[in-house]
This record gives sequence, structure tokens and C-alpha cells, in this order.
Amino acid sequence: MFRTALRIAWASLARRASRSVLVVVMIGMSLWGLLFMEGIYDGMTEQMISNAIRSDSGQLSLFAAGFREDPGLDRLIRRDGEIAEQLAADPRVGSFVRRLRQDGLAATAHYSRGVMIYGVELAEEKKHGRLDSYLLEGEYGFGGKKRGVLVGARLAEKLKVKIGRKLIVSAQNSAHEVAAVALTVTGIVRTSNMALDEAAVFIDMDKARELFATPQGVSQISVIVRAEKDIPALQDSLRRQFPDLQILRWDELYPALMQGRVMMQGFNLVMSLLIFGVAGLGIFGVMLVSVLERLREFGIMLAIGTSFRQVLGIIFTESFILGFAGFVAGSLSGGGTLLYFYHHGLDLTIFSQGLEEFGMDVITFAVIRGSYFITAFAAVMLATFVSVLFPLRLLKKSNPIEAINRV
Amino acid sequence: MFFKIAVRNIFAYAKRSIITVLLLACTTALLVFASAYMDGSHARLIQSSVEIYPGYIQITHHGFRDNPSLENLIFAADEVSGRLRDFPGLAVLAARFESFVLFSSADKAVGAMFTAIEPEKERQISRLAASLKEGSYLTSDDDALVYLGSELARRLKVGVGDQLAFVGTAADYSFAADNLTVKGIFQTGLFEFDSRASFVAKPYFDRMMAAENYATHFIAQPERPAEAAALAAAIGARLGPEFDAASWQQTMAGLVQAMRVDSIFGYITLAIIFIVIFFVVMIYTLLVVYARVREIGILRAVGTGPGQIFAMLLLESVLLGLVSVLLGGLIGGALAWYFHLHPIVFTGMEEQFKQYGLALTDMPTAFAPLVILRDMAVMFVLSVAATLYPICKVNAFKPIEAIHHV
Repeated sequence: MFRTALRIAWASLARRASRSVLVVVMIGMSLWGLLFMEGIYDGMTEQMISNAIRSDSGQLSLFAAGFREDPGLDRLIRRDGEIAEQLAADPRVGSFVRRLRQDGLAATAHYSRGVMIYGVELAEEKKHGRLDSYLLEGEYGFGGKKRGVLVGARLAEKLKVKIGRKLIVSAQNSAHEVAAVALTVTGIVRTSNMALDEAAVFIDMDKARELFATPQGVSQISVIVRAEKDIPALQDSLRRQFPDLQILRWDELYPALMQGRVMMQGFNLVMSLLIFGVAGLGIFGVMLVSVLERLREFGIMLAIGTSFRQVLGIIFTESFILGFAGFVAGSLSGGGTLLYFYHHGLDLTIFSQGLEEFGMDVITFAVIRGSYFITAFAAVMLATFVSVLFPLRLLKKSNPIEAINRV
Repeated sequence: MFFKIAVRNIFAYAKRSIITVLLLACTTALLVFASAYMDGSHARLIQSSVEIYPGYIQITHHGFRDNPSLENLIFAADEVSGRLRDFPGLAVLAARFESFVLFSSADKAVGAMFTAIEPEKERQISRLAASLKEGSYLTSDDDALVYLGSELARRLKVGVGDQLAFVGTAADYSFAADNLTVKGIFQTGLFEFDSRASFVAKPYFDRMMAAENYATHFIAQPERPAEAAALAAAIGARLGPEFDAASWQQTMAGLVQAMRVDSIFGYITLAIIFIVIFFVVMIYTLLVVYARVREIGILRAVGTGPGQIFAMLLLESVLLGLVSVLLGGLIGGALAWYFHLHPIVFTGMEEQFKQYGLALTDMPTAFAPLVILRDMAVMFVLSVAATLYPICKVNAFKPIEAIHHV
């Protein structure tokens, strides 16, 4: 029986080929647009989050109590060796780095600027957040004598420094005296994390210890976990083990990014509802006319003994074929488009200045999630199902004899 | 006669007409309102960013913007202000000298922007005076008194009346240092600015930093901010090639471009909705004209030409389009007008706005009749275009075919 229903449904769709094709194209186009938008917008949000995690916060960051409110060398994590051993032994931890930070001033012969001076281990940073991948110019290193400095891209622009230029970095040391060191710019980094790009200089950890007269302790330990689901549990266990430290997740350190992610989810939901609502209206129109113009045909079928359930089956099959064909067309075109942008990225170099203003990457790589297709399938099916309910009600109310006699 | 037939047909197929009008009117209203919101919020963001500190027009020595070194300073500030005295369209002209120093208080040292301002004029060109949080704003006679950003004061752990020292490079490359007393603390709401900016009166700065009659730049406040670009060009022409006068569109090109990117993505999003609506209108038109194939066949058989049929059907869609677009334009325009007068307030989003350097949460929509007309025209063209395919398709039937069409 199902085969018969399928054949009848197919035949009636083929008979009105242009409108069937229009409905399929409409569903396909809506789905394509929706998938493209979701994938690219999510890509933008996730890239910003990933940049913040990799360049600064990790998924968890450990600070000494009070450091966040009032950063300084008198608020350091003193037991960093013990914590490092603990983290290295924890199977949930993918990588971690230790950083020493102090606010100071960076000056060339002509310009000076307030900066955040980060003492880092470059090899560790490379393994941890691939800091090397953010290198814009120069080399990823501090040179043989460790007298090099990596400068944030916007800071470099403001200080007008280029690779090989001298930079005097000064800061208050742990004895509350101003100390300075002359360094050579070895590299310029663009992390797309605005705070770092505008104000960070990265120097060798040992050089930082010397400059700040701080032989021990670190300001921050940034941790990246192997699986995202472990973040809350790891945060809890670290909090229990080190109750005197402030242990914060990335979304606690960058609440605006989390807010952005939640807003994007809400936006995607509203867009899906709007688009499938309108598309549903299109399917509804076609199915309504399709049922109304075949009332006579259905009347005859009912009169010669076809059950109402079978007629129902034919109509549902018809709308299902339309919806499914649209879904396949949209998924293939949308998925293909996303796959292209997943590999090649959407290059918006012409707007680079504007994107950097918002701390966004110039090239956005699309995100592809199975959930996009599952949600879209459910939405298309729901839209097709709901749109035949009213035509079916009309059919049920009509009398087969009357229908047969209609001209 | 066509008009009469078209109107009758519209009423004869009332359901289709109502759905089409509703769909198109809602879409038009959505487009009008979305454009008004985007334009309005962007203008507000830019205005707020410009007015907090950067100013509408910046006058520098030629080459200073590319290479802001001490060699490229304005070395005769009084000459510049003399040449621009009573300049038409210019409300206020104020000199600034921006430098960076290392502040140190009892137990903290922080690098920060250290800027000389003309306090009375500054009051009219930026929101510095209006952002006073504690203590008081500067006057020209203030000696060794500093006006600090709230975050900077917090980091230095100083309050009004406390002392702090600064160390920096003077305009003649000599070493400059002095003790300052905090006169006032300001809070603009922009975290970055509040944590990096400090101001002193220009006469004091000039003496300490060997900058008598020097300035890094002037800020010109136009009488009508909308004409900033034209005024900047006129000032540039008056001052000659030795100076550059740049409007905020140039000095804040990044922000302007960021707003453009935001608009582009906004329009892409709207375009996706429009594509779907375009198809729905096309489908409904197709359904209606197909229901009338026999009628059209008979009309053709009695001598009506295909051109006349085309004109009749097109007139129907034009009329439907006009009604929808007018209705939608009115609804969208009314919303734009209402929210222009009563800005939308985003409570709870301060954090995100601040991250982007924006110290505001209320967003008025723009009310620009020309833009509303543009959006209505776009929707009208779209709605008529969506009906062309069905009309041509049904018009392609031969009369006999059409009469026998089931």
C-alpha cells in the first residue's frame, strides 16, 4: 500500500512540476541561507573564544587571591612548583603554562606607552596555545641572549616599532623601585585578543624575573583541558586542593564572549523560527491548493472504497517528499558551502581595520555541527506536517458525494 | 479598464491577496525597522565614541598621524589658533599635548597617557568634565594637579588629595619628573580609557615638559557635527600643506569600518529572509494564476492579446505590492519614529559593550524618511519581480491549451 501511496503522491507532484520545484527550491534556499549563517556566525564567535583561551585564559586560570582586582608582584602564586606537578599528573589536563605579569612602560626613542609585561616560556606557550601561530612578523624567539621581545600588533603600530628596533621596558620591581631593561623587538604578534594586541609585550621568563626582582612565584597559571566536559570538575578539584587561589573558567574571565555565544544561539533560534515559519506558509499554500483542486479525485477514491487513512497517507507522503527533497537540496548546498568555508575560510581582508576593532579575525572559518542538520530536518518536517493539517481538515469535512458532483 | 479588472481580481481572490499583503507588509516593516535600528545604533555608537574624547576634527602637523614623534609636533600653537579665529562653522578649538609617563604612588607604578588640556575649552569638546566622579575638574591655573581616570586611580591606589609622582620624556627629550596631587577622578564608563588616561592643565604641562606653545594636536568642534568632514576640508585648505585636518571618519576609520561590517552582516541576514519570502510570494502568485488558466484561455480566445493579459496580471501584483509596501512602510516607519524618541535600552549588556570600548546601552533608531522610501522601493521591486515568472509562465499557454487545462 505504501508503494501505491508513494506512486500516487509522486505522480501528482510531477503533474504540477513547476510549483513542486518552486517549493523544493524555496526550502532548499532557506536551508542553505540558514546553514551558511549559522556556520559563519558560530565560526566568528568560536574563533574569538578560542583566541582568548589560547592567548590568555586557557579554559581555567589560576591566580593568587586578589590578583585580578589588583595585579601586582605582591600577589603571586608561590606554590607554583607544587601546582605544576599536580597538573602534570592529572590526566584531564592537556597543557598548562606559567606566566609572570607586571604593568609597566615600553618606550622607544620617540614614543612611550603603558604596557602589560608578560614573562613567558615560549616553548611552553607554543605547546599550550600555539602562540607561535599568532606571529605576524619576525621570529618566534627571544634570541640567543634572551634580550628579545614579542610585541602586540596594535601596540607595535602605536609605538612605531619594527623588527630589530630597540625597546626600553620599565616597571616597578618587587622592591617598589623602577627598573628598566633594553630589549630588541624580535617579533610582532596578533592574537585578536584586543587587550593583548593593544598592550602586551612578551619577554623571557628569566629576564622578567631579573627585571621584576622576583626569583620565585608566578602571576597566572593557564590550563587547557583535554575534553571540555572536564572543566567544571577540574575547577572544583583544584579549588578544593588550593583554597587560597582564585581559579576561574574562561567564561568568568571573558563574560562578554560567553554572552556573545548565548546571544548567537538565541539569534540562530529566532532566525530558524522565522525562516521555517515563512517557508511553512509556502508549503501550506501549495498543499492547500493541491488538496482543494483534487477534492473530486479524493471523493472518487473514497467512494470506491479507499480508506481515509490511505488518502491521508498519500497527502502526507506528498508533503514529506517535498520537504525531504528540499532538505536534501538545502543540506547539500548549505553543507557544501560550509565545507568550503571550513577549509578555506571567509576572507574579509578588505574590512580588516573594522574587524580588528572588534577583536575579530580577518579570516573566519565556518563551523559545521551535526546539530544544524538535525534541527533543520526536524524544522522542515514539522513545517511540512503542520502545513497539511488544515487542508486535511477541509478534506475530512467535505462529503465524497458532493465532491464527486462538483464540476 | 485594466485597473478595474485588476482590483476585482484582487478582491475575488481575497485569501491570496490578504496573505500576500500581510507577508509583504511584515517584511517591509521588518526591513524598514532593521535599517533604522542599524543606522541609528551605529550613529549612536560612533557619536558616543567620538564625543568621549577623540573629537570630531583633529588638526595635526603634517605627518604626525603616521609618525607621531616629537619632530612632528605643532610648534606654534598660537599661530594655528590665530589663523582659525572666527572660522565659519567652527565652534571651539582646543589644543592638547599627549604623552606617556610612568606614574608611581606609594606602592604601585603604572604607565599611562598623560595629556595636557585647556580645561575650559575641553569642557565643550569632550565629555571629560561631565564624567567627573570625585573631587573637581581642572582649571587653567591648576599647578601640579592631576585629573585621573577611575580605574587608573584604583590601580595606583590613590584618591582625591593623594600624591603621586610621574616620570617621562619632555618635548626636548630631557627627563621630566614631578609630584602631582589628585584633584579629581573621572569615569567615562570605557574601561580602557579610564584605566589609561590622566590630564593636567596645559600651562603647567608646558612648563614641566618644555612644551611652551607646542601641541600634539588641536581638536576642532564643528557648530554642526554632521558637517565635520566638510569643515575639516575647509580648515585643511586654510592651514595649508604644513598641517593635516582629519575628520572623525578618518581618525576613527576602524570604527567606521566595523559599523559597515556589522551592517553588511545585518543585510545578509535580512537577505536570507527575503529570499524565502520572495519564493513564497512567487508560489502564491503561481497558485492563483494557475487557478485562472481557463479564464485566461477564454479571454485569449475572445481576442485579448497576451500583452493585455500580462498588463492585467502585472497590474494586480503592482497594486498588491503598493498596498503592502505602503502598509509595511507605515508600520516600520512608525516603529522607527517611536524608538527614535524612546531609545531601546539594553540592560545587562554593558559588559559586552564595554569589551568593544562602548560606554552606552541605549540605542535610538534612526528616522530618515529617504532611507525608509529606499527600503520600500526595494521591497516593491522584489514583490513585483517575484510575480513575473508565474505571469510569464501562464501567459505562454496557447488559448486552446489553457481552456482545456485541468
